[in-house]
Amino acid sequence: MTPLSNPFILSDGSKPNCMEMLQLILDGEASADQQEYFRTHMDKCMPCFKSYNLNMSIKELVKTRCCGDQVPQGLVEQIKMQISQNNIS
Amino acid sequence: MEETPKQHYSEKEKNEIFNEEFLPHINSMYNFGYRLTLDRDDAKDLVQDTYLKSYRFIESFQKGTNAKAWLFRILKNSFINDYRKKTKEPSKVDYQEVETYYNSEEVDRQITPDLRVESLKDMIGDEISNALNSLDVDFRTVIILCDLEGFKYEEMAKILDIPIGTVRSRLHRARNLLKEKLTHYAKSMGYKNV
Repeated sequence: MTPLSNPFILSDGSKPNCMEMLQLILDGEASADQQEYFRTHMDKCMPCFKSYNLNMSIKELVKTRCCGDQVPQGLVEQIKMQISQNNIS
Repeated sequence: MEETPKQHYSEKEKNEIFNEEFLPHINSMYNFGYRLTLDRDDAKDLVQDTYLKSYRFIESFQKGTNAKAWLFRILKNSFINDYRKKTKEPSKVDYQEVETYYNSEEVDRQITPDLRVESLKDMIGDEISNALNSLDVDFRTVIILCDLEGFKYEEMAKILDIPIGTVRSRLHRARNLLKEKLTHYAKSMGYKNV
């Protein structure tokens, strides 16, 4: 069986390391081929498997804990009023 | 962002674009403003200023294109050009130094010990938010754009006026710093083997 060719290899022939591959996967920047390759790679690479889970958890936590601020009441009206005043003057 | 030819909109069209394409992003914009300034009043001013500018320059915006990225870019520029100057807060990071560091051999060594998913799950208070806020603003920014707002690398490169390679390396470094902070919190919470 021939090993899967690595779709992460760049056009200049350089091969990204595990962390660089992981980052593309994590951020949804990897192609379907790259995702498939990484899934298989994770089965054999324990550090990648652990890093994937940890980094994914942090990413999700950041998203849920650092969002959800509502803009102060009245700001939209204030902005609209200022725009219409600028238009008149 | 690439220069688009100047558009011509009627007053009605301008208001439609403003209400339907710009205003729906106001909560994200406020959150971005807050995470940059770490002050709710300043965030409010920054958002207000950004929306006034967006209306003034609305003919530089092509209807139906990526309004969110366009607005984020205006806010980021206002922050750098107006807010930072006003508060005279110097940039604490020398990018060149950071990028050189990233490209050096040193980055290959494991920077943070193995933080565990279980210890993260116990951080139910403000730890995550505080850890993010404690990062230098330029590192904070890439995490906000990528993880909170879901921008693609290409969009981030345009918002921040930096090459995609720099987006990647800055994100990598930012995440390592965030992990260091979280490891520190996990330790202080009593996890010996974080």
